[in-house]
Amino acid sequence: MQRRDFIKTLGAAAVIGAVIPAMSFAADAPKGPNAFSYKQALDTITGGKTPVKSDKIHLKVPEIAENGAVVPVTVEVDSPMTESDYVKAIYIFATKNNNVRCVAMHLTPANGKAILGTRVKLGGTQEVAALVEMSDGSFLVNSQSVKVTIGGCG
Amino acid sequence: MEERKALIKIKPKSYADGEIVKVDFMVMHPMETGMRKDKKTGQIVPAKYINSVKFDYNGKIITSMNVWESVSVNPVFTIYMKVNGAGNLKVTFTDSTGEVNESSIEIKPKG
Amino acid sequence: MKSILKITLGVALFASLSYSSEQFAMSDADRAMYADLLDANPADMMVQDGKELLSKYGGGDAGLAKFLHVSEEKLPAFIAGFPRYLPDFKKVVGLGQVIQALMVTNGNKAFALKDPKMFNMVAYTKSLANDEKINIDVNANQQMKDAYALGEKTFNTQRGGRGLSCLSCHSADVIGSILRTQPLPDLGVNNSGGTWPAYRMTKSSLSTMQHRFQGCMNNALQAVIPLGSAEMVGLEVYVTNKAKGKAIAIPGLKR
Repeated sequence: MQRRDFIKTLGAAAVIGAVIPAMSFAADAPKGPNAFSYKQALDTITGGKTPVKSDKIHLKVPEIAENGAVVPVTVEVDSPMTESDYVKAIYIFATKNNNVRCVAMHLTPANGKAILGTRVKLGGTQEVAALVEMSDGSFLVNSQSVKVTIGGCG
Repeated sequence: MEERKALIKIKPKSYADGEIVKVDFMVMHPMETGMRKDKKTGQIVPAKYINSVKFDYNGKIITSMNVWESVSVNPVFTIYMKVNGAGNLKVTFTDSTGEVNESSIEIKPKG
Repeated sequence: MKSILKITLGVALFASLSYSSEQFAMSDADRAMYADLLDANPADMMVQDGKELLSKYGGGDAGLAKFLHVSEEKLPAFIAGFPRYLPDFKKVVGLGQVIQALMVTNGNKAFALKDPKMFNMVAYTKSLANDEKINIDVNANQQMKDAYALGEKTFNTQRGGRGLSCLSCHSADVIGSILRTQPLPDLGVNNSGGTWPAYRMTKSSLSTMQHRFQGCMNNALQAVIPLGSAEMVGLEVYVTNKAKGKAIAIPGLKR
């Protein structure tokens, strides 16, 4: 009857509302004042050199981020951090954000450990990448996908 | 110079000379991307975000950072630091509208 | 007819709950990552602000202890028992109301309960009880019993456009099921009583428990109950009691 159909429709609508886990990036999303792509970022920093994918970079990001406003990111690089062999820079990128650049950290041996931790805003599900510059001039890279859930109450 | 609430935390609280400690630096800042619309006025809120952080340990810059608006509101930055003598760790931070601020903490190794 | 509609809306919402589908389940590794954030919680700055405000407007820890007629040593354990019946107020009150009265006693105009400065002060004050176990006593006297009963009644009452009550989403039957991508929490197991005030990541701000309840009410299309009202204090008593015996850890960190 009428009431039963109403409940069915309402139930279906509520399920649809609950299931959308990620935001899709519209191809024509508005560009902000600092728009910067991942490719631009890599080229600018490495001078066109292709960074080598490396497991020396331990990129810690959640597989599923419970919200897109505060996503924890920690980058740890295996390195003795001595004057002759240290990590010069760690870059964190949110590869699909309007401005992919998050933090560029310039280290010195005085850091003792090559670790950078911060929290970033992710506009939706995307790969978070860490680019590392070593004291010998080489570039390493690693990345991981983060699913961003949108929803919740209040 | 505008006063901006900031905090530096060192872990562990008690450390020896030569030890590598964790340093957390956080600051209350809106980190506006310049793409957000104010719900009340409907106007775009202009970009305003922390864009650089420098860590000065006893007069030497041990770490410097460039920061962009993809970093979360009220940002937190975690680095590590080798304790090398008593003194002062001073963090100087600027934002994209030209604000300059600093925060510092005493470095006091035990023993 | 209207009440049938209300109930059916509630039922329809209920029917839409999916039961812990894996795609939304955060792994233990993910949970550990968020737990690590507590080491450097942006709300640490709000707590520090609260400390400065309490010092400026309320005489600091010493002024608060004196106002509450307890020694500074006993202050943490005393705070761990809030909301409490206080003879000076002749009713059950939360920390916010205590701080308001303390401010006035010190010759200052009290901040409104919804003022962010008040949230900071409440957070600092409650943080004095960090590591203490929640020791609220809902049977201490008739006023506490009444407050608890009122809180339980408010929790269980269906009201508003969707015919929902707090119980609709926070009853033992639905705990763990997914609503709008998030698992529904057990307010006792999750130690709500010990982890509010908390920093809300989605709002980038500190909120007290009562203020968070107002957010829930908005979402549930219920009329919002004022902070500090008998019903709100009752709710805080009722929900805090669910976490009795758990350690206080302020500021919390929530989605």
